[in-house]
Amino acid sequence: MTRRILDHKILGPRKNKIVPFKWNGETYYGAEGESITAALLANDVRTLRHHERDGAPRGLYCNIGHCSECRVTVDGAQNVRACLTPVRKDMEIRRQGALPHLVKGGGDDGL
Amino acid sequence: MDYDVIIIGAGPAGLSAAGVLKDDKRVLVIDEYYHHGGRLLGQLYEESRGNWWNGMEIADELYGGLEGKVEFSLGTSVYNAEREGSLFTIYTDKGNFTARCLVAATGSKENSSPLPGWELPGVMTVGAAQVLTNFHRVAPGEAGVIIGINPLSMVIAMELGYADVEVKKICLPAANDINTATPKDALETLMGLSRSAPSKFLAFAGGVGRRLTLLHGPVLNFFPSGGVRTLGLPISIKERVVRINGTDQVESVTTIKTRADGSVIEGTEQEIVCDFVCISDGLSPVNEITSLFNLKHVYLESLGGYVPLHSEKMETEIEGLYVAGNITGIENAKVAMLQGEMAAHRILGDEAASEDTLRKINEERKNAKVKFHEDLDAGREKLQLYWLAK
Repeated sequence: MTRRILDHKILGPRKNKIVPFKWNGETYYGAEGESITAALLANDVRTLRHHERDGAPRGLYCNIGHCSECRVTVDGAQNVRACLTPVRKDMEIRRQGALPHLVKGGGDDGL
Repeated sequence: MDYDVIIIGAGPAGLSAAGVLKDDKRVLVIDEYYHHGGRLLGQLYEESRGNWWNGMEIADELYGGLEGKVEFSLGTSVYNAEREGSLFTIYTDKGNFTARCLVAATGSKENSSPLPGWELPGVMTVGAAQVLTNFHRVAPGEAGVIIGINPLSMVIAMELGYADVEVKKICLPAANDINTATPKDALETLMGLSRSAPSKFLAFAGGVGRRLTLLHGPVLNFFPSGGVRTLGLPISIKERVVRINGTDQVESVTTIKTRADGSVIEGTEQEIVCDFVCISDGLSPVNEITSLFNLKHVYLESLGGYVPLHSEKMETEIEGLYVAGNITGIENAKVAMLQGEMAAHRILGDEAASEDTLRKINEERKNAKVKFHEDLDAGREKLQLYWLAK
């Protein structure tokens, strides 16, 4: 389980303004102004994407927009880097799935 | 022309440059992140007893002084830059902007040493864990293992401790063509930290290295194979992580013991249960923007990689193009801030301020609490020779 650090030994307590957002159609809650990666991690969601080729689970890695491992679909726009995008009220975020093979078919919808 | 100066990067260097220019020039600061601060976000360490460096506070102070005077375009990705005549054009996903001067303050990125299982959710860079823990205040997990022994990983391991996130082990990565760090390198890191330790913990960790050297000569033979625990941090320089295990996310790592020379001792595999793993392999300058120009870049390991050829006053071979911060070589945020001020003084043509800032930079380097590479000074000198010989 992951958790929010509400009282930090050195930085002190923090109160967050909580906003609802949708992850794969379900309602979750995040702190206003935090990145999508932080909001999902606080909800114990680690798998942000299934790899395009083999469907293997992938999560945040660099958290600064370099690795592109955390790409998600935000309000219909594909391949948005979750680590660079602040979560907003009622945002619709979806996990991206494996792509179908040209001949063999397959793929998944990310759920 | 839209602006006098465009600054790419809203970190310590970029914000400091803007601070000097704010009253005299029309300035635009661009950053890909949606919040100002760059790598200041997350920095938290004790410089001396009771005296804390809080990067987030510093970032807010720098930013606060600019409001209403400098334009910001955050959450903006730069994908190209050109110079025609004496005008720079910066192409971004929010439109194109022109200016007479450009300051590339793009900072650094973390290197990654790949190993089996590193693509699993739960594996991240130490910098990612730092920002999550201190800026977002979301714990990266319950208990983690840090792979890589270097100044950055040691400082961040301590920061995880402040947030009550357990670090089960700090050890070396599996040896391969890319990862070549040996127990000797790790010990040298610990000893290096003792020279100018930013805290009691690092002083202690460094002390272990120094004491062993003085007393035993061949220290590494005596370094306990299970590591040492100092103020809650388990440092194990004779242990390597050979793979990360898990089905849908990190569940454990497998380590193996090594001899003093770094060679593995067969049959000593051990599984450590954890729910996150941090990989730390040092930092390298982000030079994509400067690479777009006809500009020489020099590879210097002591500076972290390829850096654009520049003078100690932050000028490059292209008129109007300046660099500042970690793009010039990996150093601490205080140096980056001074370098940003330096670039701005050159843009304003302020000789006296440039000389004064140069003195401050040299002073800060001498007193730096964390030195990212032991040959940093030699690297800087070499770069200066290249500049003079250009």
